Amino acid sequence: MALHTAPRKLRDPGQELRRPAVPGRRRSLVLWPYLLIAPTVLGVVFLLVYPLLRNLQLSFQSFGLRELIRGGAEFVGFDNYRELLTGGEFWDVVVRTLIWTTVNVVLIVGIATLVALMLQRLGRAMRILLMSALALAWATPILAATTIFQWLFASRLGVVNWVLVRLGFDSYEGYSWFADGTATFTILVILVVWQSVPFAAITIYSALTTVPAEIYESARLDGASDWRMFRSLTVPILRPIFGLVLCLEVIWVFKCFTQIWVISEGGPNDATTTLPVYAYQIAQTLHHYDLQAASSTITVLLLAVILFVYLRQLFRQEGEL
Amino acid sequence: MKARNAVRRGSLNLAALAVFAVTIFPVYWMASTAFKPTRDINADTPVFVPTRLTLEHFRTAIGADGFGTFWRNSLLVTVVAVVLALLVALGAAFAVARLQFRGRRGFVLMVFIAQMAPWEAMLIPVYIIARDTDMLDRLAMLTLLYFIFTLPFTIITLRGFLAAVPVELEEAAQVDGCTRLSAFRRVTFPLLAPGLLATSLFGFITAWNEFAFANMLIVKNQDDRILPVWLSSFSNTFGTDWGATMAASTLFALPVLILFLVLQRRVTTGFVSGSVKG
Amino acid sequence: MKTARLLAGAAALAVAASLSACGGSDDKGDGSGKGDKGRTTIDVWLMRDSVSEDFQKEFEKDFEAKHPTIDAKIQIQEWNGIGQKITAALASNDAPDVIEVGNTQVAQYAASGGVKDLSDKVEELGGSDWIPGLAEPGKVDGKQFGIPYYAANRVVIYRTDLFEKAGIKEVPTTREEWLAATKKLNTGKQQGIYLPGQNWYTLAGMIWDEGGDLAVQEGETWKGALDTPEALAGMDFYKELQALGKGPKDSDEAEPPQVGVVAKGDVAQVIAVPGGAKLIEEENPELKGKLGFFPIPGKTADKPGAVFTGGSDLIIPEAAGNPDEAYTFIKALAGDEWQKKLATAMSYVPNKKSLASVLASDPGASAMAKGATNGRATPNSPEWAAVEANNPIKEFMTQVLTGADPKKAGATATAAISKALGG
Repeated sequence: MALHTAPRKLRDPGQELRRPAVPGRRRSLVLWPYLLIAPTVLGVVFLLVYPLLRNLQLSFQSFGLRELIRGGAEFVGFDNYRELLTGGEFWDVVVRTLIWTTVNVVLIVGIATLVALMLQRLGRAMRILLMSALALAWATPILAATTIFQWLFASRLGVVNWVLVRLGFDSYEGYSWFADGTATFTILVILVVWQSVPFAAITIYSALTTVPAEIYESARLDGASDWRMFRSLTVPILRPIFGLVLCLEVIWVFKCFTQIWVISEGGPNDATTTLPVYAYQIAQTLHHYDLQAASSTITVLLLAVILFVYLRQLFRQEGEL
Repeated sequence: MKARNAVRRGSLNLAALAVFAVTIFPVYWMASTAFKPTRDINADTPVFVPTRLTLEHFRTAIGADGFGTFWRNSLLVTVVAVVLALLVALGAAFAVARLQFRGRRGFVLMVFIAQMAPWEAMLIPVYIIARDTDMLDRLAMLTLLYFIFTLPFTIITLRGFLAAVPVELEEAAQVDGCTRLSAFRRVTFPLLAPGLLATSLFGFITAWNEFAFANMLIVKNQDDRILPVWLSSFSNTFGTDWGATMAASTLFALPVLILFLVLQRRVTTGFVSGSVKG
Repeated sequence: MKTARLLAGAAALAVAASLSACGGSDDKGDGSGKGDKGRTTIDVWLMRDSVSEDFQKEFEKDFEAKHPTIDAKIQIQEWNGIGQKITAALASNDAPDVIEVGNTQVAQYAASGGVKDLSDKVEELGGSDWIPGLAEPGKVDGKQFGIPYYAANRVVIYRTDLFEKAGIKEVPTTREEWLAATKKLNTGKQQGIYLPGQNWYTLAGMIWDEGGDLAVQEGETWKGALDTPEALAGMDFYKELQALGKGPKDSDEAEPPQVGVVAKGDVAQVIAVPGGAKLIEEENPELKGKLGFFPIPGKTADKPGAVFTGGSDLIIPEAAGNPDEAYTFIKALAGDEWQKKLATAMSYVPNKKSLASVLASDPGASAMAKGATNGRATPNSPEWAAVEANNPIKEFMTQVLTGADPKKAGATATAAISKALGG
């Protein structure tokens, strides 16, 4: 099966015959796919696999500030992993990361689906208006957005405190949001959800628009209720795109770092320390680059486990093509 | 029946307006703060609709050390990385979407796994490699990194866009005597253009945002710093000067917003055709 | 089709541009730094607020006149995230030639092996006269890595005009007087004192006054001590004082820079190094002549409040491209002539005991000198920098100030400190 166009749809059988079949050219074309993916493979190997291997190597060494500067790190076997996995703190961080990911992803996909359904039902003008707003929110760079949220929730002159006081919650006069663990966590969730919903919503909406309106029309004529149409028409259509959006959002939220670091550096009292933040902390503050390496290796494994189901399904689907 | 429909329509529009407000407000607040005079920013009652406008904060921001250089550096690094990623991804996406070959599944899986790489945690190994290959303090190193950051996602999306272009068109061209390559170039590529643009926007946003590596890999040459690093030290230098900080953020967000406004129609149509087939 | 050509063109352009940019960065950032005219460029990192703009210009001009073969490029670094920056610099192959390092941080860098041993220069620099608060942290295993640069401790900078208006004739010398005066000053828009919630150096002084400490050594191991009654008493006083102004409870004096806050007016007192007064005047010339100083009051009038002796050392990284020129630079900046000028210009304590007399006529510096009689250092553990890097003391302060149970918050912070010091 050297050069064989992926059969996406049923084609009329004659088509295969009409294809130019020049034997000599065919053989030289065997190389084509490999040439095309070669730059990607090379890039991934040199810029990703190699650093990952170095990272793995680090995780088996005793590697601190001295070794970073002067070299000469010692091999210590699984010591770093043992230290991480037996300490209670690490598991707290893992649990917190899972909570962080779950809360965010559920909110993002839930809200995005609602917004997508809303977009589908809106009139043209309203839809364009809402799409533009979503696009603006989505296009705002992370750092800028993070700075904006700091300003919105600033204890003095912050607009959120002002609104809350106006609504009668006087205790929010000069309230320091970033001093309280739960409050900081909540603000970060709001920030990440605000940033992530646009992408998910627009993608899901795009998938929705591929359903020909006639199908809905005929279903409605058959007397199907809204809920029923949603369940038996919309959901199946959305399933593959849901899979992709879910998978990407899990990856993005799990790895989310800049927002957390800029706003809270993982504080207060570790309330917002997720795995990437934790890894950065042990490297930054304790110069334990070895522990950081071990923790990032565990992070990859953890993500792989979480996404295993999806990846397996993906692998199977690819086979069917 | 009609009345009920009107009520439904009305409440739907109302809900849409609420979503619109929540979505747009932070962006609006950034821009309006940047244009408001300091007196209005520090007012005890927030000024929601500024009546007096000033460019003072923008002057402060642009007047800050090295703004122009950082802006140019950022743009350069980002554009090169994105274009490189697009070119490389186009080949890979074509191979995956159109050709059958041994190892295809493995390749797709690799791309997905590459997407999961915990970059922030790999700061030190990357730093060591950069140091040992004499690539510290070089924008080229950052460019290469941003290229690989954006590559997996670019491949995934482009492949979706490519799959949405009917293969039959290409084949028809081949029948008309085109080679496979020229068939791709003449038929598929133009249809793919919106997809390419949409994807480039994704890449642009990712690379434009990166901060940790820029901070660690550009050590000595302050002239080679890029905008995110500048923005972070900026909000530090000016502290509570929210006007200047927001002006700086606005200037930072500007290229992406402009790019989006220019591409908007293409991007949304691109999405429609592209994202159906993950 | 048009798009295709456009894209290809853009790609080619961009690649070309990037190549030329890389070429460009080569000749300016080269480690050897030998320019066309035989001048050697050295990179010097000084910290924000370490020198004023005028002083920097004056020094650079004089230095380059005396050493025409050296082009000194001084870059001002931000305190925020500086640890990572210095680490990256020390580990690189082409580090800056001179770096200013805080005296609580210098030990860990010296111990890491990335810093040049300057023991053989100590005599030439007159090291026997150095003030110990700077010389000792720069010394590891009997070798001198850090060269003392300047020291300073905090005093209270106050607005003489606002004190007068409030009818306060004499500056306070005890805590009670201080609280009473500050209460009087804290009216309406005017803040009695601007004290950010995380000024932990100031808190340390108050804890030392009570007889407590941030951490204590028990045998070989260090333990946090923020849950002791003494520490909690110190925090209690801090809280009482902090409430007499609008200082943010969740940030420190650098964010926002308190100098800027005071310069805007409406602030009667602020705790800072005396040099802060000059920066305040620089930002708001209207306040010129309206700023006075007094030592932080202690529990009794006969002894000023304890203060943390802060300051900086200068180091030459092992990876510096031009260590000889770097030493020439250090010799000038840490030498008597410029130390005197720096001390008077910035109101710092110079790096040698014998130079202290230059400050006699400076009201800020003499207030500082009074306070310095009760000067203390952070716990002398080599791991102390790890505590500061992710400071649990700051979190403790914010927690208490926003109403958490001090005992509980103290216990959490104590555990965190013990952990950081235990490695």
